[in-house]
Amino acid sequence: MSDESRYTRQILLSQIGEQGQKKLTESTVAVIGCGGLGAPVLTSLALAGVGKIRMIDHDRVSLSNLNRQFIYEESDLDKEKCKRAADFLQKRNSGIVLEPVCECLNAENAGQLLYGADVIVDCVDRIETRRHAGRAARKLLVPLVEGGVHGFYGFVLPILPGESACLECVTVGNAEEKGPVPAVGAVAGVIGSLQAVECLKILLGFDHVLYGRMLQYDGLYGEFTEVPVHVRSNCVCQIG
Amino acid sequence: MIEVRLFATFREGRDKIVFLEPERAACPADVLDHLGIPHEEVAICLINGFHSGLSDPVKDQDVLALFPPVGGG
Repeated sequence: MSDESRYTRQILLSQIGEQGQKKLTESTVAVIGCGGLGAPVLTSLALAGVGKIRMIDHDRVSLSNLNRQFIYEESDLDKEKCKRAADFLQKRNSGIVLEPVCECLNAENAGQLLYGADVIVDCVDRIETRRHAGRAARKLLVPLVEGGVHGFYGFVLPILPGESACLECVTVGNAEEKGPVPAVGAVAGVIGSLQAVECLKILLGFDHVLYGRMLQYDGLYGEFTEVPVHVRSNCVCQIG
Repeated sequence: MIEVRLFATFREGRDKIVFLEPERAACPADVLDHLGIPHEEVAICLINGFHSGLSDPVKDQDVLALFPPVGGG
C-alpha cells in the first residue's frame, strides 16, 4: 500500500510537505488512556501516520464505554482496551507500529512506560495518574498534552517541561470527580481532536503551540476561552 | 471590582462571569462562599493566571478563574 497516496492531502499542506510527513513517520507518541479522549487522539495520530504509538491502559471495555469510545464494539466487551484499540488502529493503518501496554501507569513505572516518546498525550481520569505522567514527562524532558472533559465541558493544555505551566502549577489540592465522570462522545471528540492537533504541531516543530494557554471549551455556550496559565515558582516542576 | 470567571459545571445555575466588590471577598474562599460553591470542588484556582490557594488575598481589579475537576472521557 502506497504511503504517498495515503498522506497526499497532508503533504499538500505547505506546513507539512514531504519533510513533515517524514517527521511524523519517524515519531513516537505515548498515549495514556484509551477511553473517551484516547479514542479520537489515537485515531487521529494513527491516520496521520505517526510512526509509532504506545497506548497505555489497564482497563477493559465495558458497555458504558460504547456511547463515546468509538474504537470499540459490542464484541470487545470485557476485553483489554489497549489490545482492542491496537487492532482497530492497525486495520486502518498497517504502516505504523502500535505498542499496547496493558498496565496502570504509576510512580514506579511511569518513566519506563513513557521512555522514548517524542510527545506524551494524557487522556486519563485520575489526578494522581496525571501527576505521575507530568512528573515523568518533566524528568524525560518530553512535551505533554493534557486534556480533560466533564459532560459538555473540556480543556486542553500542552506543557513544555520546565518552560510552561504544568498541571501541578495550577491545581489546588486533590479535587477529583466522585464516581463516573459524565461524558458526551461529541465533546470528548472535540477535546481529543484538539489534543491530537497540538501533538502534531509539536511533532512537526510548529510555533504557536498552546503552551501556557489553557483552552477551555464549553459546548453548552458554544464557546472557546483561552486562559493564560503561568508557572508557579514553588511548583515541583521548578524546584525538583 | 473583582472579576470572577467560572468554568465548566461552576456555570450551572450561575453567570459565567461575576463581579464582586472587594469589600465582600478577601480571598477565593470568600468568593466560593458567596457563590455557594463547596471548597472541595475546586480543582484549579487562578488569580490573574497564577496559581492561588483558597486563602490567598484577592484585591480590586484581580481576575479570579475557578475550575472543577475533569476526567479522561
